[in-house]
Amino acid sequence: MNLLIGDLSCYGQCLRSWAPFIALIVSISIVLISISLILSNPRMKLKLFIFSQTSGILSIALVYYLMECSEMLSLYIYSSYLFASTFIIFATLRYYDRILIRKLGAKPAVSILNWTQEFVSNLTSAKLYYLDSAIPRAFASGRSIFISIGLLEMLDDDELKAVLAHEAWHIKYNSAMPFMKQLALMAFSSSADPELECMADRFAAEVSGSEALLSARNKIDRVFI
Amino acid sequence: MVKLDQINISNDGLTKFFSPIEAAILRALWADGEMTTSELTGKTNIPLTSVAGTLDRLVKAGYTTRRTEKVNGRVRYMYEPVFTEKEAASEITTKILDSLVETFGPLAVENFSKYSDKK
Repeated sequence: MNLLIGDLSCYGQCLRSWAPFIALIVSISIVLISISLILSNPRMKLKLFIFSQTSGILSIALVYYLMECSEMLSLYIYSSYLFASTFIIFATLRYYDRILIRKLGAKPAVSILNWTQEFVSNLTSAKLYYLDSAIPRAFASGRSIFISIGLLEMLDDDELKAVLAHEAWHIKYNSAMPFMKQLALMAFSSSADPELECMADRFAAEVSGSEALLSARNKIDRVFI
Repeated sequence: MVKLDQINISNDGLTKFFSPIEAAILRALWADGEMTTSELTGKTNIPLTSVAGTLDRLVKAGYTTRRTEKVNGRVRYMYEPVFTEKEAASEITTKILDSLVETFGPLAVENFSKYSDKK
């Protein structure tokens, strides 16, 4: 505790006239983050969280820039933590599908249904994998789409196209989405966004026809009731 | 459970050693041999939601095998039992006898011989 107070007063001396300004930014970001914890609307929550993170990062950059005496160790440590964590978050999200492929033993879907990969490639640059599991499920991660044999068994070609188009939408229009999801998790707001699922469904209906989408939904809903 | 690490003496029939869904699946496979997922849900009268996870488990535990088949451009699983009913019964019996002898030693063996004398 003493160390922290000493450190803080040291910052104050180093920054001199700028100290109140920086203190203001820091307190704004603290207030924003506490409001974001109370709010129940996930969208607002996420926005506030991003604002508070940005102002926090801004204040760090300012401290770094305006420091009139030699820099302090704590600042170094915190900045390197910040860089490292941001890097890890991005890298994990980008390459998480690689981890999933290995963990789930997924294999390229070309080997069992050759038209599927071509269909996906026409929509977005993603690779389609199948899972050796009877449990019907499909999901997208990174630049890969996964579909279980259980689901392939259930759906006819048109319904399968609807499901693939839905997953392709997630990859096509939301390359930034996993990051937002991660942020949503960090901000303790819900990660599943029904609005996004609706938009993916709209796209799927455009590609494969609303009838196919509807019957695919019905089949899947019947299983997951 | 398929690993046979839990036995419920008070249960009926195969459910002493397997969960009710596992038992139903195995019974159907033993009765009719190879079949698809939809045939299995039809025969056992259990919804796919409950059967799917159990099928994955039975395959992993080595009680059933499945191969993927392509019929009219559709992919489907074909399930087959690994053991016959007789082989499964003998495996279960051996495992239980082993554990009894391991726990009670000569006393268990003595009871077995009494039992076979009675028969």
